[in-house]
Amino acid sequence: MPKKKLAVYTATGCRACENSILDVHFQVSPVTPWAEVSFWPYLAGSQWQDLDGDDQIDLCLFAGAIRTADDRKAALRLREKTRLIVAVGACSAFGGMPGLVNLGGVANDADPVATDESTQPGLPRTEPRVSALSDIIDVDYVVPGCPPPKNLLWSAIQALLCPGECTSRISYAASRLPDPISQSLTSGILPPRGSTFAGDKAVCASCSRVKEEKKFRSVFRPYAIDPDPGRCLLEQGVLCQGVATREGCGGLCTAAGAPCRGCFGKAQAVFDPGAKMVSAISSTFDSTKAAEIEAMSREFVDLAGTFYRYTMPAQCVLLAGPAKDENNAGDVL
Amino acid sequence: MNRFEPKIIAFLCNWCSYVAADAAGVARLTQLPNVRVIRVNCSGMVDPSYVVKAFASGADGVLIGGCHPGDCHYISGNIKTLRRSFLLKSLLKELGVEDGRFRLEWIAASEGPRYARVMNEMVEEVRNLGPYVPPSRRSAKGAA
Amino acid sequence: MRIMQATFFEPLRWQEQSARVAVYNGGEELKVYYQITAPRDLGVICHGRPVEELPRILSLLGPAHHIASAVALDRLFNVEPPPLAVNMRHALLQTLVFSHHLRKLFFFLTSLEDPLADRHSAPRTLGQPPFLHHLFDEVMQCLSLAQEAATILGGRPEHPLTAVAGGVGRYVKPQSYVRLAEISDTCVIFAIKLAEIFGRNLLGASEAVERLKEVSLEPMLSLSMTHDADGSVVLRDQTSKEIDRFTPDNVFDKVELFHEPWTYEPFACLKGKGRNVFDGNGGDGLYFVGPLARLNRGLELSTPRAEQERQHLFESLGPAPQVTLAAAYRTLLVELIQAAEQMTELYDQEKLTGPTTRTIPKEMGQQATGAIESPQGLIVHRYRVDDRGMVQELDILDTAAQNNALRCRIARRAVEESMTRNKSQEEIRKNIEASLLPF
Repeated sequence: MPKKKLAVYTATGCRACENSILDVHFQVSPVTPWAEVSFWPYLAGSQWQDLDGDDQIDLCLFAGAIRTADDRKAALRLREKTRLIVAVGACSAFGGMPGLVNLGGVANDADPVATDESTQPGLPRTEPRVSALSDIIDVDYVVPGCPPPKNLLWSAIQALLCPGECTSRISYAASRLPDPISQSLTSGILPPRGSTFAGDKAVCASCSRVKEEKKFRSVFRPYAIDPDPGRCLLEQGVLCQGVATREGCGGLCTAAGAPCRGCFGKAQAVFDPGAKMVSAISSTFDSTKAAEIEAMSREFVDLAGTFYRYTMPAQCVLLAGPAKDENNAGDVL
Repeated sequence: MNRFEPKIIAFLCNWCSYVAADAAGVARLTQLPNVRVIRVNCSGMVDPSYVVKAFASGADGVLIGGCHPGDCHYISGNIKTLRRSFLLKSLLKELGVEDGRFRLEWIAASEGPRYARVMNEMVEEVRNLGPYVPPSRRSAKGAA
Repeated sequence: MRIMQATFFEPLRWQEQSARVAVYNGGEELKVYYQITAPRDLGVICHGRPVEELPRILSLLGPAHHIASAVALDRLFNVEPPPLAVNMRHALLQTLVFSHHLRKLFFFLTSLEDPLADRHSAPRTLGQPPFLHHLFDEVMQCLSLAQEAATILGGRPEHPLTAVAGGVGRYVKPQSYVRLAEISDTCVIFAIKLAEIFGRNLLGASEAVERLKEVSLEPMLSLSMTHDADGSVVLRDQTSKEIDRFTPDNVFDKVELFHEPWTYEPFACLKGKGRNVFDGNGGDGLYFVGPLARLNRGLELSTPRAEQERQHLFESLGPAPQVTLAAAYRTLLVELIQAAEQMTELYDQEKLTGPTTRTIPKEMGQQATGAIESPQGLIVHRYRVDDRGMVQELDILDTAAQNNALRCRIARRAVEESMTRNKSQEEIRKNIEASLLPF
């Protein structure tokens, strides 16, 4: 049985995703019985020429946001040579924290000055906006998170690289994954294209805090309160994004005393994370008087930067990518 | 003459503001033609995502018309909208939707003339603001 | 104008940011540029964010930045974190040092043998040290233990969560103490074992390892923090003699950042001093940070086995200041042992328990600075906020900026040394990678 070919690449971001993949190989289960790594610059020193042969890559784990022209070239080249591309991590899945550049609305403060390239090397140009991988190419699957938890990474590798052959089971991951994906782990059938390797519901479903009644009168900035570790943060007046965020992490951050900030992207049923959060928070205001509600609303700061912290390029409906012509109304009007 | 004609989406609640709009029409009050009405059963059912989608789909302004507080057919639906409106406005502003493009108005069934006046004012205000261009298209410099 | 031929070495292994090396070899002199090919945009990303979110946002730069950010926030809000929080952060920091150095050493080992070779089916090559594959497994097993400890203390291993303004976000669970003790004990034993393996078998063994003794960096100024309670920052000259000492608050009075058009990462340098990235002679203001800078302080270490290893280093490689790659790698081992020993001291139930995990602020200043010695070197954060606590200005001295010039210079040394031995392109690239790795 010929081995599958695996590629791992990061565009612009950090190296947490690639380190996590490496950890999966060594700490969870080795991939090498099923796959040969044909392209992994970070670890194996692979060069772009290595892709010039006829062989197709079977699975490419692509991390990092698209920030520069080189990132775009890399995405296009890997898409060309790969059968299945997985956007690993919040940066490639939705744009990640680098995506906050799009909110800044300022001209790129890092544009390289034109140089005389005969004596000094140039730099790849930055793009006008940060993009998620799906803005550039068709993405087959998504493993979200910052970085994705190892069990979800492994379930993706298992389902897509060595379908039906792997013996190790990760019961927690399988239990939160939607049926088509968890079944594919053992059945050998690929999950539907475009699936996300995470749960369908919101983080609240896996968060270990007790949820009673969501009504609060005062809002606290996270530094101003030492919240009760057993009770829902939103109920205590601390802004927590779990309501609009896809589950799958097991409520990592809330268990550590930190409110969720949405690194898994929006939950299945959500149209726009910001709109959903506005709705969710507003419904908890314990008042019917306009002046009081307005005062409470003012306590929330940096709405866009919080609601779209990891998802600005791909999931903020108002700021999402190019395409429509300015003079046209678009598809609705 | 190529004057900019804004497109305003108005979510009007069935029991009050829609009736007012209807009455304004029947009374043949002068109204600018820029408004597209979407009738909803209660202003409280207008999810913030509808407003976001409206702007993303090409609307230049969005209005939610509801009953006066206390008069809601479903008791407190309009209070739900009120609660959302402030945060929604702040979020929209942070995303580049200027003040004046999104409005929440209480318009009773008997306030036909008021409806016409509010809408006409809004159309002119949005006309002065110009077309709404999502920030991504604003800052895009050529090839994206 | 003579056109110089440029060769680009990319992609490079083990780099935290997208990086490449451009070599111009056609003119009178060899020019070697270490280029970071994508910007980090920290200023834009952080502007307008609530300042208390910075510890989580800035972990983009590295997990230690999470802690540095919390330290800066303590100063901004003028609070003293409770002792348990100080200890927990310290314990987390040492755990991060351990993980970071262990990973670098792992990467070095992968230069000697392919970690992804399928040992189930591939035949063994004669002459290869037979234990390397088992060593890979052991190293990664130890790394996973360290990550488990980092998760217990920090919430997550890669982008920690628990350091907050005024303290930490949660207690360590009582049942974790036994586990932490197991982990630290195992880490100490393994660190010592790894140092022995490197000392006996590897450093001195194959050619790749031999050359580590021959590539050295040009002497440079260095910056590091002292052990002292006041946490001063000390500037040392090329012979490691102390020439200036200041508090973290004054760092930005002495140091500034400047840009070159051929790299997106800025360079840190002393104000008013020379900024020639390629030529350090005469009034050089460029400096470096990191384990080697710390080693060259010549300070005795407080933990016994690490101090022993440090003595071994100087016995075998000569007295301070050390400038060779061999020293740079050996230092990682010394600090690995030190981190493990400190982990053993700090994973103490008494030290990590107390009535409260954080002190709630009552006031907020306008500007504050925080500094720590991260695994990769000194890092300094300075924040300026408006009256709502939203970030207006952000100054970060991260190790990428402070070691930017060092990387250019060591890459040049690696290229020069490879060219004198007529190495192929691939070997030159590997030499560059091995030279950059310990910094």
